[in-house]
Amino acid sequence: MIKHTIETPKERQNRHKAMEAAIVLEKIRHDFKEPPKAMDYFYDLYERVHCKHESLHDDKVKVGTMCIQVPSEIIYALDAAPMRLCNGFYTDDEIGSDLLPSKSCPLVKATVGQFVSNNFSDKPDIVISPTTCDQKAKSGAIIEEMGFSVYDMEFPRTKESEESREYWRRSVKKFTKELSVNLDKKLTKTKLKDAIKKVGYAQHLYHRLNILRKNSNSPILGKDMFLVTNAFFFDNIDNWIEAVEELAQECEQRVKDKVNTASKRSPRIVYTGSPPIFPNLKVPLLIELSDAIIVADETCSSNRMFNDMVSVDEWFVYDMVDSIADRYLKGCTCPIFTKNSDRKRRIIDLVKDYKADGVVYQAFAGCQVYEMEQRSVLEAMEKAGIPILYIESDYSPSHLGQLTTRIEAFVESLKNRKRKR
Amino acid sequence: MQYFAGIDIGSTAIKIAIVDENKKLVGHKISASGSMFYKYAKQSLKDMLEELNIDEKDLVYTISTGYGRKLFKEADENISEITANAIGAIAAARGKCEVRTIINIGGQDSKAISLDNEGNVVNFAMNDRCAAGTGKFLDVVAMNLELEVDELGEYHFKSKGTPLAINSTCAVFAESEIIGLLGNDNSVEDIVAGVHYSIAKRIIKLVKRVGIKDGIYFDGGPALNGGLVHAIENELGREIFIPEFPQITTSYGAAILAQESYEYENQVH
Repeated sequence: MIKHTIETPKERQNRHKAMEAAIVLEKIRHDFKEPPKAMDYFYDLYERVHCKHESLHDDKVKVGTMCIQVPSEIIYALDAAPMRLCNGFYTDDEIGSDLLPSKSCPLVKATVGQFVSNNFSDKPDIVISPTTCDQKAKSGAIIEEMGFSVYDMEFPRTKESEESREYWRRSVKKFTKELSVNLDKKLTKTKLKDAIKKVGYAQHLYHRLNILRKNSNSPILGKDMFLVTNAFFFDNIDNWIEAVEELAQECEQRVKDKVNTASKRSPRIVYTGSPPIFPNLKVPLLIELSDAIIVADETCSSNRMFNDMVSVDEWFVYDMVDSIADRYLKGCTCPIFTKNSDRKRRIIDLVKDYKADGVVYQAFAGCQVYEMEQRSVLEAMEKAGIPILYIESDYSPSHLGQLTTRIEAFVESLKNRKRKR
Repeated sequence: MQYFAGIDIGSTAIKIAIVDENKKLVGHKISASGSMFYKYAKQSLKDMLEELNIDEKDLVYTISTGYGRKLFKEADENISEITANAIGAIAAARGKCEVRTIINIGGQDSKAISLDNEGNVVNFAMNDRCAAGTGKFLDVVAMNLELEVDELGEYHFKSKGTPLAINSTCAVFAESEIIGLLGNDNSVEDIVAGVHYSIAKRIIKLVKRVGIKDGIYFDGGPALNGGLVHAIENELGREIFIPEFPQITTSYGAAILAQESYEYENQVH
């Protein structure tokens, strides 16, 4: 028998994650109609980062962020690389489960799990933990106890009042100052302006690509769009911009050539709820494998990152910082807020604009706020005459049978409606 | 000289071990179970005695074990494969490994057995529901990949990419997953490694149910598959002990028990 050395725990974890990633990439690449050629950049990127564990930011100070609410413009302006650490790996979810209550959110468990194992291809030098949802706020403290440098960024839970706006502006200002001290970098007007423009250009590119999905022949499937947006979590922004420019160009051509990545009868879906983060693209993949197509989404791992742009009145440092703060609070449709009519309105708008036939709402089992908001969203959709499917799921890769049946039945019912129309 | 036999009638193979008065293994034989366990078991034992030049009269005590143990009427006694496996493992590893945990993968089931310091069985777990993670599963995989079962180990070590996991717990569904992976031009080596890791993960769950203690002994036909051994070692993060003849551990244990039972019954009180 051939004698081989036994893996170290780190090697084992890396292999588990590589196996998880590889099998999802395999599906994404092969189980659908031909994707745009420019998607190869993203497929390769995920393979490099998640299967081969290459680091992308060796030359930069890395600022880990625990939530979408951390303003990346400020991090870029301080010459650091933001890395969103929201994690989609079941391997890490299982590790985190040993520390957190069993009914916690899998995303939070997975994020904490990665810190427990202290296994990063790009290890964050400092972690920014916004006090958005309870579970994230508390895990910031847990991670700090493990010896990581964590900065708690205060975040309000209402967004209508002037007080909350003021509070959040002050919080962003404080964050800017402290990060600047921590990284020993001075924030200059030019750098901040450049950073706002760069992130703004990335947002613009996303929109340029995203509106193509309004066409009845959609040039790109939702599973690929999730990969594109998820990559913004960790990719070098310049490379990301270049790749999306190319992708948008190709997709524009596809629209002219009337290429349809779905079939003519495929129901069009708006996806909302807990964020799909690679490799946990379970529900989006099931939807599109059931012959439907996701034409738009309302999630913090995708659309919400790009939705609202910074609008600046005066290009002075603290005016810019205030404008950045506003972008992150006002446009946010996260269910952590007390009231959330914005979110319902946005979903309905997306359904209209993207001519969708129905909505799929996923809540991670353990993500209380999405679970709680489900009822009111369902009622609003019912009122608007929009069919909606509510699904609760976790990161576990097995037991897909029941989930598949529910999604297929929903897609079929949408098809029937379409036929009758 | 008196001899003692242990006959392990499994779903895939009949394993016979013969020991002498000193519990020393004098011979063993593995043959296919086929459709008529009883007939084949009898024939196999007869052939073996002839090969070893042992007179039938000198075979004084026989114990049958395994899934078909009750069908072998000539046996003086029959015992469960759990007990036999434990006794066989301790004897086969004597001087090389202090066995505390046994992993057995058979044709149709897999087991994890936990032993105490004296070698008594304290706990065991079995996957009794289906063929996932058993020898049969490996057979199906090999067939789909158009390989022989004994080639799987070699292919495992040639895997250069990421092992491709099989998520289905069901052997039948796993088959369609494998066919899908093959259809997408994935390398056979990566699929084989993925299958081994999938089985290994399932086995680890079983072992965790009884508690993992160092001194891990792995037997059953699939223990001959170096790739699977490698996968289990990696999942456990520690070394496991593979006996010289992994398939006959249980029959060896039964033969040892046969000797002990005979001695006990014929004690002069």
